[in-house]
Amino acid sequence: MNVAILGCGGMGRLHAQMAVNCGQKVSVCADTVRPAAIRLAKEFGARAVNDPESAIMAKDVDIVVITTPTTTHEVLVTTAAAAGKHIFCEKPFARTSAQCKRAIAAARKGGVNLFVGHVVRYFQEFEALRAQVQGGIIGEPGWAKLYRGGIYPGAPGSWFRDYDQSGGVTLDCMIHDLDWLRYVFGEPERIYCQALMRTAPTQMDYSQVTMRMKSGLIATVIGTWAHPSGFKVKVEICGESGMLQFDSTDAPFRAEARQTAAGPTMIVPSNPVSVSPYQLEWQDFIDWIEGKSLPRVTARDALRAVEMAEAALKSVAKRQPVTL
Amino acid sequence: MIKIGIMSFAHMHANSYAACLKSLPDASLAAIWDDNPKRGKAMARTFGAPFIADQGTFLRGDMDGVIITSENVKHRAMVEAAAAAGKWILCEKPLAPGVQDAKAIVAACKKARVGLGTAFPCRYALPLMEAKAQLDSGAFGAVYAVACTNHGQAPGGWFADEALSGGGATMDHTVHVADLLRWMLGKEFTSVYCELGNQLHRKTLKTDDLGSLNLEMEGGIQVSHLASWSRPKTFPTWGDVTLEIICEGGVINVDAFNQKLTCFDDNAKRVGWVPWGDNPDLGLIQDFVNAVRDRRDPAVTGVDGLCATEVTEAAYKAFRTGKVVKL
Ligand SMILES: NC(=O)c1ccc[n+]([C@@H]2O[C@H](COP(=O)([O-])OP(=O)(O)OC[C@H]3O[C@@H](n4cnc5c(N)ncnc54)[C@H](O)[C@@H]3O)[C@@H](O)[C@H]2O)c1
Repeated sequence: MNVAILGCGGMGRLHAQMAVNCGQKVSVCADTVRPAAIRLAKEFGARAVNDPESAIMAKDVDIVVITTPTTTHEVLVTTAAAAGKHIFCEKPFARTSAQCKRAIAAARKGGVNLFVGHVVRYFQEFEALRAQVQGGIIGEPGWAKLYRGGIYPGAPGSWFRDYDQSGGVTLDCMIHDLDWLRYVFGEPERIYCQALMRTAPTQMDYSQVTMRMKSGLIATVIGTWAHPSGFKVKVEICGESGMLQFDSTDAPFRAEARQTAAGPTMIVPSNPVSVSPYQLEWQDFIDWIEGKSLPRVTARDALRAVEMAEAALKSVAKRQPVTL
Repeated sequence: MIKIGIMSFAHMHANSYAACLKSLPDASLAAIWDDNPKRGKAMARTFGAPFIADQGTFLRGDMDGVIITSENVKHRAMVEAAAAAGKWILCEKPLAPGVQDAKAIVAACKKARVGLGTAFPCRYALPLMEAKAQLDSGAFGAVYAVACTNHGQAPGGWFADEALSGGGATMDHTVHVADLLRWMLGKEFTSVYCELGNQLHRKTLKTDDLGSLNLEMEGGIQVSHLASWSRPKTFPTWGDVTLEIICEGGVINVDAFNQKLTCFDDNAKRVGWVPWGDNPDLGLIQDFVNAVRDRRDPAVTGVDGLCATEVTEAAYKAFRTGKVVKL
C-alpha cells in the first residue's frame, strides 16, 4: 500500500520508517513548512507537497498518516475518511472529545480503518507488566503509580508550547498512561488533577493525578515537562501479594561519550528491542486493514483517553474532582 | 545530666529513642513506665533503666522530661498527666489522631508552662536538610510543585486498629511529609484532596492502607503525597521518604533513606538494604535534651504537630465527602 505522511516532524519521520519496515511505500510527504516536506520526501523517495489535502486526495495514496499538531487531527481525519483512505493518527486522537466523536463518525461513514497510535500498549515493558498483573503473581492489584516525562518538548514557538493547542503534559503525554490504565484496569470513575501549565519565566508543566477506577483501584499518575533534561518512565503496581516496578533509568545499555573539542559529553541510555513498539503498532494496523485481525487499540479507546485527559484538565480548572 | 523518662513502648520508635538517650553524654534514661507492664519490664531490662508500674509515681520521680511513645489515641491523656507534673514533653507523631486532641495537647502544655515537641526526626535527616539548604540559598528559585511519598510495610498490631491509631496508613504516613514541607517551604497548607484505599491488605487490616493525596500550599504550590503501607514483606527495607521538588531553577530529588548497602543474605533467603549514614533520631533526641536544659520548646514544636494533624484530618474528610477540603 501507498502511504502519505501528513506532518513531517519528529513523528512523521518515525512513522515513514515504520511503514517501510512493514513493507509499505511512502509516496507523498506533506507539510505546511515546505523544507520539512522536501527533506522527508527525499529520504523516502517520495514527492513533497505543501497542502495536506492534495496528499490525501492523491490517487497513489491508500493510507494517510497524521502526525501534525493535535488541533489539526480532526479535519485531516474527516477529509481522509471522506476520500476513503485508511488512517493512522497519532495520539492524542484530537484536542477535544467532541472532535474525536466527529472523526469517528466520519471514519464510519467513509468505511475506512481509523487507528490511533497509543503506542504504550505495544511497549514490551508495559506488555510484560500487563502479563504479570494478569498472571496474578501480585494478587488483586490495588494501586498503580505511573510517571512519565522529562524536558519540555518543542523549540520556542512550537505548538507544544501553546497549551490551547497541545493541552500540555496532561493531554499530550500523560494520555499514554491514562489509556494504558484503562486498558489494563478498566473504566475510570473519577479523577482529580493539579497541573502547572506555566509559561514564564520558564515554560514548564507538571501534572499530578489521583484517579479512582470503577474496580476500586487507585491510580496515581505524574506527567512532567518540568525537568531540565532527559525523559523517563516509572511504573509501580501494588497488589495484595506483591509489587511490580519498572524504571526506565535503570537501563540495560548506557554509553557516555567523552567530551571532546568537537562536541559536548553525550549520554545515551537505551532499551534495545528487536522490533520497536512503533513497528508493532504498524503491523497491527496493517493486519487490521488486511482483515487478519482487530487492532489492540480502537478509535473508541482513543476517544476515552481524550475524555480522561479532558476530565483531568477540567479538574484543574474547577479545583475539584471530576466524575467520568 | 538531663534525666528523661519514657512513657510506653507501644510505638517501636521508643527503642531507637531509648538507645539515643543511652548514647548521649549529657542525657540519661531515668525510668520507664508502660501501661503494658510486661512490655515495660522487658524494655527496662533491655535498656538498663528502672520500670515503674504506677504512672503517678513515675511522674513524681526525679526526671526533667518524658518521651511519649504510646498508641496515638493515648497521647492526649499521657501528655496532660506529664504536663501537670511539670515535665518537658516529646510526643511521638502523629501528635494526636484528630485536631481536637492535638489542640488540647498544645493547650495543656501551654497552661503548665512546659515545653512540647513533636517527634518528626526527618527534620534531622541530612539529605532533607541539604534540600532545605539548597532551597534557602535561593539557587533553585521559586518552588511550584512537589511530589512526595512516604511508603512503608504494613505494621499490623495497634497501628491497624482504628480505636487505638485513629486511622491507617494515611494517619501513619502523612504527617512526616506535611511537616517537612511546612518547614522547607515556610508555607502552610491551604487545601487537601484524597483517595483512600484498603485493597492491599483487605484480608488482614480494617483501616486504609494507602492514601493518594493532592494538596495545595500558600502561593499555589501543588503537592501530591502518597502515604502507604504498600511495601511487600519481601521489600528490601521498611519503606521510604521521597520528594521531587519542581523549582524555577531546576528539580531537586530527595530519597531520604537511600544511604544503603544491598545485602544478599542466603541464610535469611532475603535481599535487604543495610542503612548507613547518620541517624536522624539522634538529632531529634539531642535537641529535646537541649530544650529541657534551656527550658525552651524543642525545635519541632507541638504546634508543628498540630498543623500536620490538621492535614491528615482534612485528608480523611476529603475522602469521606469526595471533595477538596479547605484548611
Ligand atoms: N506516540 C508518541 O510517542 C508521540 C511522541 C511525540 C509526539 N506525538 C504526537 O504526534 C503528533 C506530532 O508530533 P511531533 O512531535 O511530530 O510534532 P512536530 O512539531 O515535530 O511536527 C509536526 C509537523 O507538522 C507540520 N504541520 C503543522 N500543521 C500542519 C498541517 N495542517 N498540515 C501538514 N503539516 C502540518 C509542522 O510543520 C511540523 O513539521 C502530535 O499529535 C503529538 O502529540 C506522539
